[in-house]
Amino acid sequence: MILKALLLRPLLRRPWRFLVTVVGVATGVAAVISTIAASRAAIASFAEGIEEVAGAARLEIASPGGLPETLLAELRPVSGDALVVPVVEETVLLLELGDGVRLLGVDLLLDAEVRPVLSGDRELPDLDATLLGFGALVSRRLAEDLDIAAGDALSVSIGGRPRSVEVAAVFEADGLSAVWERVLIMDVAAAQELLGRVGRLDRIELVPRGSVDLDELRVRTDALLPDGLAASPPGERRRFAEQMLASLRFNLVALSAISLLVAGVLIATTLATSVVQRLFVVSLLRSLGASRARVASVVLLEALGIGIVGGVLGVAGGFVGARLALASVRFTVASVVRGIPASEIRFDPQLAALGLAIAVVTALAAAVLPLMEIMSVPPLQGLRTAPPQRMRTRSRLATVAVLLAMAAAAAALARMPAIDDLPIPALTAALVAMAALLVGSGLLLDTLARLGHAPFARLRGAALQLAAAALSAGRRRAAWAAGSVAVAVALAVAIATMVSSFRATVEGWTTSGMRADLWVRPLAAGTGVWVGRLDPEIVTIAEELFGPETADPFYSQTVAYQGRPVSFAGAAFDVVRFHGSVPFPGRDSAEVFDRAWRERAAVVNEPFATRFGIGEGDTVRFELPGGVLEREVVGVFRDYSRSHGLVVVDRSDFLRFFPDAGPDDMALFLPPESDAGVARERLLEAVRGRFLVEALDNRELRAAVLGAFERTFSITTALYLVTAVVAVVAVLTVLLTLVGERRRELATVRAVGGSRGQVLAMVVSEAGLLGLAAAAAGTVVGIAVGVILVKVVNLQSFGWSLELVLPWSSLVTMAVWVVATCLVAGLPPALVAARMQPAAVLREEG
Amino acid sequence: MTGAPVVELDRVGRNYRRGDEEVHALVDLSLTLDSGELVALVGPSGCGKSTALNLVAAVDRPDRGRVTVCGVDIATASENELVALRRRSIGMVFQAFHLVPHLTVEENVSLPLALDGRRDPDRVLDLIDRVGLGHRARHYPSELSGGEQQRTAVARALVHRPRVVVADEPTGNLDSRTGAAVIELLDELRRSEGAALLLATHDARVAGAADRVCELADGRLVGRRS
Ligand SMILES: Nc1ncnc2c1ncn2[C@@H]1O[C@H](COP(=O)(O)OP(=O)(O)OP(=O)(O)O)[C@@H](O)[C@H]1O
Ligand SMILES: [Mg+2]
Repeated sequence: MILKALLLRPLLRRPWRFLVTVVGVATGVAAVISTIAASRAAIASFAEGIEEVAGAARLEIASPGGLPETLLAELRPVSGDALVVPVVEETVLLLELGDGVRLLGVDLLLDAEVRPVLSGDRELPDLDATLLGFGALVSRRLAEDLDIAAGDALSVSIGGRPRSVEVAAVFEADGLSAVWERVLIMDVAAAQELLGRVGRLDRIELVPRGSVDLDELRVRTDALLPDGLAASPPGERRRFAEQMLASLRFNLVALSAISLLVAGVLIATTLATSVVQRLFVVSLLRSLGASRARVASVVLLEALGIGIVGGVLGVAGGFVGARLALASVRFTVASVVRGIPASEIRFDPQLAALGLAIAVVTALAAAVLPLMEIMSVPPLQGLRTAPPQRMRTRSRLATVAVLLAMAAAAAALARMPAIDDLPIPALTAALVAMAALLVGSGLLLDTLARLGHAPFARLRGAALQLAAAALSAGRRRAAWAAGSVAVAVALAVAIATMVSSFRATVEGWTTSGMRADLWVRPLAAGTGVWVGRLDPEIVTIAEELFGPETADPFYSQTVAYQGRPVSFAGAAFDVVRFHGSVPFPGRDSAEVFDRAWRERAAVVNEPFATRFGIGEGDTVRFELPGGVLEREVVGVFRDYSRSHGLVVVDRSDFLRFFPDAGPDDMALFLPPESDAGVARERLLEAVRGRFLVEALDNRELRAAVLGAFERTFSITTALYLVTAVVAVVAVLTVLLTLVGERRRELATVRAVGGSRGQVLAMVVSEAGLLGLAAAAAGTVVGIAVGVILVKVVNLQSFGWSLELVLPWSSLVTMAVWVVATCLVAGLPPALVAARMQPAAVLREEG
Repeated sequence: MTGAPVVELDRVGRNYRRGDEEVHALVDLSLTLDSGELVALVGPSGCGKSTALNLVAAVDRPDRGRVTVCGVDIATASENELVALRRRSIGMVFQAFHLVPHLTVEENVSLPLALDGRRDPDRVLDLIDRVGLGHRARHYPSELSGGEQQRTAVARALVHRPRVVVADEPTGNLDSRTGAAVIELLDELRRSEGAALLLATHDARVAGAADRVCELADGRLVGRRS
């Protein structure tokens, strides 16, 4: 009976109320799930793939730049205790797929004991065909996607060179990780030849036999290895990859946390209002003898229902959203680490359960506040005319004090250093600032209402005055709405500030730092992800065409510096000392490179300098495969294309330590007065039929860099959408509630001479005032949070110093937009109010 | 004290649907109210008093017959005409007071003027004084007793000098002494303002003060006394 009175009846009579609440929950959960799912797919799967591909291998020997095959013979003494497995691995562009795939060269006869795809209980494909020629095993899934079968040919681009591979057999990857769906497995010798790495391996894996002690095996193996090489578990490589992606992942997690915050606020708003709507019935039931516990259990039941329904919808929406977000995360990941992140979002029951749990827990937590209100409701009395919720001077002062304390805390946190390279204190500062909006929204509305409520001072705005008075009266509820809209606005403003600062900085950086006339890179995958390197021959071709001092190839390897992964790169200092390249703040780029060339010194990027506390004049020391390299640092350059450390030495230094596997890309500085377009044609003509490369001119390169930047930020931009939804849902719920609560009052206004238009204007004004308050407070806090993001968070998590550029015009647009959205959201409740029949309402409400 | 009728009900019918059943709340009700006159509607609960009053107050329209208030035909008037009628010519007092909870006494009283884009602070304060709430002008309804709330409602019903005041059981929520005082006040004020008063009541004493008493039963007029 109580259930019926409190829950079912209201739900059936006003289903939209329940729906709006559910939509609020679903939106929040969807935001969280899509961020997590997309970043997981792209980042985690990448790291997990390393271990997945390692299969049963427990130890591996690897080195940047690869290993000589002769090492296998030296490991013979341990072969009684472990299977010693040679592996060649590279990411190549599969032209039929238009995307990168992992090319894995293994010893097919040995490998049955290493990797699940080739292992025992699966039907082994015919290996003879694979061993002959460039035969590859492909997964059933890939074969189906491409509609190919054994015997068909596939084309891959290796270093820009198109090569053909025959499908030898199709293997089943059911029940295995998705990693296997994008793998070409070949025999190691064929892979070496295909990749132009005859005699070299990427790693050697050890699979212990029987009950061999792993530590002992490791010690014995290390003893056999030359200096600088050691066996380590595959997990190490995974950790390395994860470290490189740490800041990216952290950012995505922070984004999800923020979405969750917004979702929580939203759920609390909607739930609080829906409970408050029933205060009257609650107090009536209480006076008829229902216990508090009874009433409370009904409220919790409702929260549970909202949590479950909203959670299920949110999880579904989240996985759809993740699909949309994946492209951008994937691109970002691929630009940080060599390799191909997952291209697909798979439904993950654990994540789905998490989403559901988030929804339910948040809904239940959000029910606490309204529950407290219900508990304090006296049995039917004094409810007929609820006293307006004016703030007392004391509570106003208390709120101001709390706000000042929060501001001080945020300022202090923003000045704290990062923890483990992660800007945790600064982000906490941002959260405190956002929370201040929730704390302060009541005060804000109260002040606004006081201002707007100079008792009917002006004749015209009766509707506006009534609106202000009503808002201040329903302050507690209205404050929730204003608070959640303000949080959403602050979020959007902060992101807009960050994006605009970023864009301005990156634009300046591309103008000053990208001076090459042409830029050559391997053909990009259809998804925009670059795969592999340029063939070394392309450098020779360019030098022959345009002269030796025109080509600046950029070689890189991931190496460890103080135990952490950084990029170690070689560039043509003898070329860029004439033209300049990446910008050094306050210095001439060409001069810096000239000095680096003359003194055989190094330059480092800003993230490296920040992370390791290295400045000009310091020395960096690297233990590389062929020995130790020590170089003085003569410049720290701005680098907004990577967030991990980069050390650049002259290419002659680089190529002393690493075999020439070809550069990542190549810049060309053409002789004066040559035409970039003509030069490009000449280059492409020279490589035609042999290499698949792209050449961008200066303008296109900058556009490409800015495009990549835009893509990186497309997720953050999606938060605008969330903002809009939050604003609409919050305002809609609260106003519908306020209107519902004030049916009697609105009918009275009509009865004593108010027109429909006036009632409409009154409710829409309430929405407008809410929006105005939220936009104002949200913008102020959003700018503060934006400054924290730009000046602190970016520096700490990416090592980038950015110029602060406030996007004034979009701030204004956004504020206008929010107020407009609120006005529109106020329309349905306003229409409900205006359509009310005063006679019927007054009769019903006594 | 009679003049031209300000309110005229001519064979008025008003039906409500309650599920599948049709409720005849008013059947062929004819009634006039002259300028300055006090007419009381009496009858058992559910006989149609409130229905009739709502028609006169221009918050409801008849299904049959004619309701004319200050020359405006309620059935055919446009929504705007009804609004204008309510805000200029009609004052309303309810059993449950129906003050706007977040407006002060002063603001509640000035509400009809404000809605009409007018203001007259002197008139408002004068009325508040006359209903004896001078010291309460800045209080909110929740801070007033029932009688004080109803006195505020009385001031609100008269502030814009209406020609008709409609009061639906204005004493229903009050004890008899307070109720009597409110009626006295209402009568006195509307006399001095020259307004007609149509009053629904269960209270015989209240009815006794009326110029005429109309008795309703099942939506029909069953008796008149003067
Ligand atoms: N909106 C409505 N829907 C259905 N029936 C209604 C509605 N309004 C009134 N009625 C019915 O019309 C009849 C007259 O109602 P009305 O409110 O006018 O009575 P009343 O004389 O004012 O009674 P009371 O003295 O109890 O206030 C009643 O039977 C009532 O149930
Ligand atoms: Mg009645």
